[in-house]
Amino acid sequence: MAAAYRHSATARAVLRSLVPVICPPEAIELGDAIIDHMELSLAASPPALHRGFALGMVVYDLGALARHARRARSLRGDRAERYYERWVHARTPLNRQLARGINQLMSMACYEQPAMMERVGYRPAPWIAEVTQRRLTVFHDDVRRQAEQILAPDPLRPGVRVKRERA
Amino acid sequence: MAAAKPAVHEGGPTPNVFTRRDHHGDSVLDADVAIVGSGAGGATMAAELAEAGFDVIVLEEGGYYQTRDFTADSSAMARQLYRDGGATAAIGNPPILYQEGSAVGGSTVINGGMSWRTPDKILARWDRELGLTGIARELEPYFERVERRIHVAKMDPDVIGIDNQLLKQGADAKGWKVIDNLRNQVHCVGSNRCAFGCPTGAKQSALVSYIPRALHYGARIYADVRVDQITRHGKRATGVIGTVKGTRHRITVRAKLVVAACGAIHTPSLLVRSGFRSPSGQLGHNLSMHPNVKVVAIFDQPVTGWKGTHQAFQVREFQDEGLLFAAVNLPPAVLAMSFEQRGAALGELMSHYDRMVTAGMLCEDTTTGRVRTIDGVPQAFYQLADADAANLKRGVMLLSELLFAAGARRIMLPFQGAEDLLSPDDARRLLARDLPTKGWEVVTVHMMGTARMGPDRAAAVTSPFGVVHDADGLMVADASLFPTPIGVNPMETIMALATRGAGYVIDNAARFLA
Repeated sequence: MAAAYRHSATARAVLRSLVPVICPPEAIELGDAIIDHMELSLAASPPALHRGFALGMVVYDLGALARHARRARSLRGDRAERYYERWVHARTPLNRQLARGINQLMSMACYEQPAMMERVGYRPAPWIAEVTQRRLTVFHDDVRRQAEQILAPDPLRPGVRVKRERA
Repeated sequence: MAAAKPAVHEGGPTPNVFTRRDHHGDSVLDADVAIVGSGAGGATMAAELAEAGFDVIVLEEGGYYQTRDFTADSSAMARQLYRDGGATAAIGNPPILYQEGSAVGGSTVINGGMSWRTPDKILARWDRELGLTGIARELEPYFERVERRIHVAKMDPDVIGIDNQLLKQGADAKGWKVIDNLRNQVHCVGSNRCAFGCPTGAKQSALVSYIPRALHYGARIYADVRVDQITRHGKRATGVIGTVKGTRHRITVRAKLVVAACGAIHTPSLLVRSGFRSPSGQLGHNLSMHPNVKVVAIFDQPVTGWKGTHQAFQVREFQDEGLLFAAVNLPPAVLAMSFEQRGAALGELMSHYDRMVTAGMLCEDTTTGRVRTIDGVPQAFYQLADADAANLKRGVMLLSELLFAAGARRIMLPFQGAEDLLSPDDARRLLARDLPTKGWEVVTVHMMGTARMGPDRAAAVTSPFGVVHDADGLMVADASLFPTPIGVNPMETIMALATRGAGYVIDNAARFLA
């Protein structure tokens, strides 16, 4: 089971400001669902990543004060864009990695939204249902034969059997 | 010795499979064999030994899911079926992202099902240079047995998707060798969901083949149990101790034989944190990874790559140079995360999703990394060799040429900051371009070699049958055993070696059960 992870208030505010920077315009209204999805993905990742991400969000948030006199969470439009770009091209590898990591995680969460999958024509659920039914109908006999083969006796060393009683 | 005390409710939904919900306290269990890991190696060994009459317990860190649990929700499947949700990486420049299954059935639940025997040239090398005399002849019947069990076959032609047809067209146009992929499937119908748990039941992963067989012959499976260490008395393994995930319940299994089958990252770490050392100094070393990069091509025509079978073909023209090519469909979310574009540019690019073909390559690596155990947790370190980087770069050029020959209009590269290719000439100019590896997107699902087998205890961690040198009652049965990378998908080799290892245990049952 994954370790518990919840976005901090800071992380959530910063990510909300980044949705318009990273996601396509048509996904902006899905911002909260995208951020919730990122939380789920992070929860499945190693605890060290949770800590690193949370810390990174704080540094990203406060790092805007020097140049923009306000936290990153409050930046909008071009200013939010320019600040994020500075991180993408930062000299420090950790800054670049964080920017890239946010981009990856948010892009993934964005295209996990049903509306975005529909938009690119990705509709796997009905397809899976259709081909599963087809397989069971058309190939019923072969499927059954394999299921029987899986369980049929076929000892690796015929005639050798270790007789053990379970303790 | 305390009496066995199974603190579990008997009779869950699947007899003899116990999950986290079945535990209500600490447990002490007895068995002949405790197997750690339920993937290609562990499940195979469990089935063979159970059928021979051994009392077998399998412990699996991941959960127990069945075919009906596999849905179209890719990220939910990734969270459930992948170790750490897939967020695992070997440290190096570039870091190499790797994926391992973490569920009953192990990585066979999330792999593509490619089923290839170890190539002859590899077995010849193991025989000639690594002391594994006669291994090709010895493995032959085990390969046959595995192929029968997991139903290795070519794909039905009518389920091959357009993306794979384009790959073949491109290879044919170039005059390159391209072959039908062999996969463990019974009438795969092309849901193209191999990497997220086969929802049709067609893929004969360990979950639907060796695991049911093991259960049928009396093995018990404990899912959601992380094995913390192998217990020992001196150099003799005496069982394992684990923790039921999400609880504080401990589970102790006392066994005559312990089999580590948790993959090339976790097996060496389990042995190290249990206090086993190899006189060879090779435990955790010799990590091979088959580094893998991909390109994404955009065609004029609709491709709809998610309809059709996974990796129907392999381009084998460059196998002697250590490169295999294949087409792999990725869900939009996974593809989107690999693009550098963002905002409106990402939206524009993804609007072509239905016309995209993703193709990747496997590189037989020439260098090795290692697995270190830090605070009880394994961490892989792997530095991509210059020669392998050059081979991957050449592979990207060749694969791009193939895709242009099939009609691609634009190809996106796995190299950060690199411009897209718009013509075969662009592809050929790739070799002259300076593309620092630190910006490469390299991934793998093939980790091998960290407990290599061989007859010489000064050079190998285990015997040719997987018995750990300088230890008693301890075996390895996974890709850790490979002395070198094998240049093809490793599942069938793992299963064949595990079957051979099981045969060795049966042949020497008196010794192992003493």
